[in-house]
Amino acid sequence: MEAGIDLQSSAIEMLTGFGVPPGAAKAMWMPLPMTLMLAVATFGVLVSVWLERKISAAAQQRIGPEFAGPLGSLQPVADGLKLVFKEDVVPNQADPWLFTLGPIIVVIPVFLSYLVIPFGQHLVLTNVAIGAFFWIALSSVTPIGLLMSGYASNNKYALIGGLRAVAQSISYELPLALSVVAVVMMSNSLSTIDIVEQQSSYGILGWNLWRQPVGFIIFWIAAVAETERLPFDLPEAEEELVAGYQTEYAGMKFALFYLGSYVNLVLSALFFSIFYLGGWNFIVPIEWILDGLNLSADIAWVQVLTATLGIIMVLVKTYLLVFVTILLRWTTPRVRIDQLLDLGWKFLLPVSLVNLLLTAGLKLAFPFAFGG
Amino acid sequence: MDVVTLASQLNAGTIIPEGIVTLTLLVVLVGDLIAGRKSASWLPYVAIVGLLGAIAALFVQWNGTSDTIAFLGAFNGDALSIVFRGIVVLSTIITVLVSISYVRQSGTSLSEFLSILLAATIGGMFLCGASELVTVFIALETLSIASYLMTGYTKGDVRSNEAALKYLLIGAASSAVFLYGASLLYGLAGGETQLDRIGIALSQIETPAIAPVVALVFVICGIAFKLSAAPFHQWTPDVYEGSPTPVVAFLSVGSKAAGFAFAVRMLVTAFGSLTEQWHFIFAALAVLSMILGNAVALAQTSMKRLLAYSSIAQAGFVLIGLIAGTESGYASVIFYLFAYLFMNLGGFACVILFSLRTGTDRISDYAGLYQKDPLLTLTLSICLLSLGGIPPFVGFFGKIYLFWAGWQAELYGLVLLGLITSVISIYYYIRVVKMMVVKEPHEMSETVKNYPEVSWNLPGMRPLQVGIVLALVATSLVGILANPPIDLAKASVQRSPILQASISPAKEVAVSRFAPVQSSEFRVQN
Amino acid sequence: MDLAHGVQLVSFGILAAIAIVAALGVVLLQNIVYSAFLLGGVFASMAGMYLLLNGDFVAAAQLIIYVGAVNVLILFGIMLVNKQQDFPAIKGMWIRKGATALVGAGLLVLLAGTIVTTPWAISTATPTGDGSTLKIGEHFFSDFLLPFELASVLLLIAMVGAIVLARREFVPEDTPTTEEELAFKLPERPRETAAIAGGSQTSPE
Repeated sequence: MEAGIDLQSSAIEMLTGFGVPPGAAKAMWMPLPMTLMLAVATFGVLVSVWLERKISAAAQQRIGPEFAGPLGSLQPVADGLKLVFKEDVVPNQADPWLFTLGPIIVVIPVFLSYLVIPFGQHLVLTNVAIGAFFWIALSSVTPIGLLMSGYASNNKYALIGGLRAVAQSISYELPLALSVVAVVMMSNSLSTIDIVEQQSSYGILGWNLWRQPVGFIIFWIAAVAETERLPFDLPEAEEELVAGYQTEYAGMKFALFYLGSYVNLVLSALFFSIFYLGGWNFIVPIEWILDGLNLSADIAWVQVLTATLGIIMVLVKTYLLVFVTILLRWTTPRVRIDQLLDLGWKFLLPVSLVNLLLTAGLKLAFPFAFGG
Repeated sequence: MDVVTLASQLNAGTIIPEGIVTLTLLVVLVGDLIAGRKSASWLPYVAIVGLLGAIAALFVQWNGTSDTIAFLGAFNGDALSIVFRGIVVLSTIITVLVSISYVRQSGTSLSEFLSILLAATIGGMFLCGASELVTVFIALETLSIASYLMTGYTKGDVRSNEAALKYLLIGAASSAVFLYGASLLYGLAGGETQLDRIGIALSQIETPAIAPVVALVFVICGIAFKLSAAPFHQWTPDVYEGSPTPVVAFLSVGSKAAGFAFAVRMLVTAFGSLTEQWHFIFAALAVLSMILGNAVALAQTSMKRLLAYSSIAQAGFVLIGLIAGTESGYASVIFYLFAYLFMNLGGFACVILFSLRTGTDRISDYAGLYQKDPLLTLTLSICLLSLGGIPPFVGFFGKIYLFWAGWQAELYGLVLLGLITSVISIYYYIRVVKMMVVKEPHEMSETVKNYPEVSWNLPGMRPLQVGIVLALVATSLVGILANPPIDLAKASVQRSPILQASISPAKEVAVSRFAPVQSSEFRVQN
Repeated sequence: MDLAHGVQLVSFGILAAIAIVAALGVVLLQNIVYSAFLLGGVFASMAGMYLLLNGDFVAAAQLIIYVGAVNVLILFGIMLVNKQQDFPAIKGMWIRKGATALVGAGLLVLLAGTIVTTPWAISTATPTGDGSTLKIGEHFFSDFLLPFELASVLLLIAMVGAIVLARREFVPEDTPTTEEELAFKLPERPRETAAIAGGSQTSPE
């Protein structure tokens, strides 16, 4: 299926049309989507922060931010500006190098993971063959940064918070990866594009949600734990650990953590919608609609329309999930650390292994339904 | 390639013995899970039955098919590997027998000990037949990691922790060096991992390149660590002293036998074109091991340390057979390891029994043991004398055969050194025997004066008794009935294509001329 | 030199520099925590090298195994046990350091010489690129089937062993009979039930 717009090739074509050599045209094109993606990710954070404030206010029967911009929508920007202009405090006897490096190492892998997020058939930065694995591999780097900042803060709350964060992220990475493997097994590919393609045939009925109900739930729990949101926000449990590994941070470095955690939230929701909710697919296949309207998919404005619809679909699904996580935050109590580890190792891990085995069996038994 | 053709090409029947051991491992683990701690009374026997099953499967294979290459060249179940796998399994059986009461008394759980021991056995068995670099490395690591775990098994004991840490660090370093050598081989062979293809690729390098020699040295570092040959022996005394004694028994025999099998296969197949070089390196290792092992053993006061240095020295003796590179050379290696299995395990069984009853392994504490425990004294004496090479025990014939094979291969210097150091070794073995037997009642050590009454009815003691008697009988009788095992060793060499290809025709003539004479010699002596 | 080639060369230079500097830091720095973090840097730059060689699956695996698991484990170990402690200066330490440096340098020269002078047999097979994951899978289930399966035994026993080492002290359920008390004197034997706290009761003879 080659429908949909291909921005890269058309942009390069246009540039070569102006007499730019192909290599240079490609070099000129390359930074564009990257900056765009950075901007999109940051904007996504602003939206989620605003959502968080508004929804938590609603959950507590408050109004929430109101004065900064319409409906308080500029409040996150104000927050960000405040953090940028705050003094950058490095605590006494902290390790200045590791203290600075920690937040950076936490943030970089999260942003890099956006490389493999597809918003449409060709609306992806790099369609690497190992997309899903790439994300899992990158997310395993984050704990190093957490440990680094926890250690460098010269504060026992920070150290315990860092250690907790790492224990948690390692424990939940396994069920997460195993449930992703079950999806990958059905689509015969690690590429995020292929995973979405494989769900595109029957509209909402073709989504992996129905074929992987167990994996769906495991992935959800594990993703919430990976992003350290309630009920799994033990690393920064304020009653016990002040703010965990973030305790000593202020100003821009704290902003990096803050940014990282929200980008990670949006990222997890994006991957969730890709793996289980059909990515850019509409609830009925877009081809059926086009056929019904007697439109060819090659017309330019139809292409733009379908691409826009795809992007909107991805965002709708993603922010639906973000909404659910925010709601979870205000409705569930925090688990204890031993309960957290028990759930991860003694329940989710075996269940996800069984799910993987079951998927393999079903794939052999019903190749038509499970991507034979 | 679809599943059916693949399955038919795998020739998976060759690893049935390993499969049986793996199954036993799972039965032990799951059995313990289901039955709880009560299972400790029957799990060891399950393990022994499984291991005996593996021996039976090996026996069937010995008489069985000629197609020995399995898993598309990853494993070679030829006669050589069958014999070595047999030695590894036998050593595990005896180790299980002697470990039951020890593990019980050290307050650790038996089923995990058994499963780790069985995993080490699986690693050792695969190492005996592995003919491809990746398999070699994984088998080596299975054996090593299981050994590290067993070494640190009595974790309440500081000495055991120290031994485990030392063993782990040195082992990891030597694995890394071996891996570097293997990567050089992979590069030299243009992306081949199978030993025979690497051998062909190495023989096609015309100009004298330095890379194969570097690879050889690095690989030998990995091998010599497993053999505990000097100068790669530093871990041996500390590990032997600190770790649980049954573990040491397995390390000194099972692990070492697997190491020798691996050495033979690796060096003969992959480094066939560098025979002179590896003979030279091994000769140096043998000289160092014999001198250092025997000289330092003289000064030991702890029985386990004494046996540690003795095992270094024994590795040096066995290397002579390897360097000889003739049919009788390899056969003598196999026969000596077979003999070493019984005498060394017998010795360790006695050390276990003594330390169970008295809580010590100082040599001076053995004084006058003869008065209190004749069976223990008899077995330990015979095993030590056999290790020293005193006739008519099995060790004597093993050594004679080794030295004879070395002499035939014109290794006069090595053999002479072996003879001299053997005489030295007799001194320290006899010292222990003298301590136990000759002392007057009033010279008895305090420990032996308080020696508890001998009772074999306590839990776990029967198997220990069986192990001790088995070792005693084998050590004293196999020497007199040496022909069947020697024939077995020879047959295994003759039936292994890789060894036949490496034995040079000129030496072969000399060997075949002397071989009948030699076996009749044994008959005359007996 | 086209763009792709130039980018590749520059990336290799950067990665190699990171790897060498970080590795030197691992060995030479006094602070063990720095060493551990730099080790992560070495692993990550190795992953970058694999990426340059078109082995994207291997690169991701390197990242997830070495950075995500091994290095985190090392750091965990250090942070849970690390007690800041100044070791007493050892007399003549510089001789040992000098000897180590000499041996290291010698090895470097030897290996570098080996690599430069050897006629390596370059594999003629075409690089698989994006299909490398499939290729690895095929190897796992054909000619590397045995090591692949054997690795499962290895991992199983490593897991069992790790649990054995990490769990609380095993306390024998059935207390030894008086007969046994008299007959056995093994020093490793736990004498008190207080062993559940995990202390060591070793009393060397």
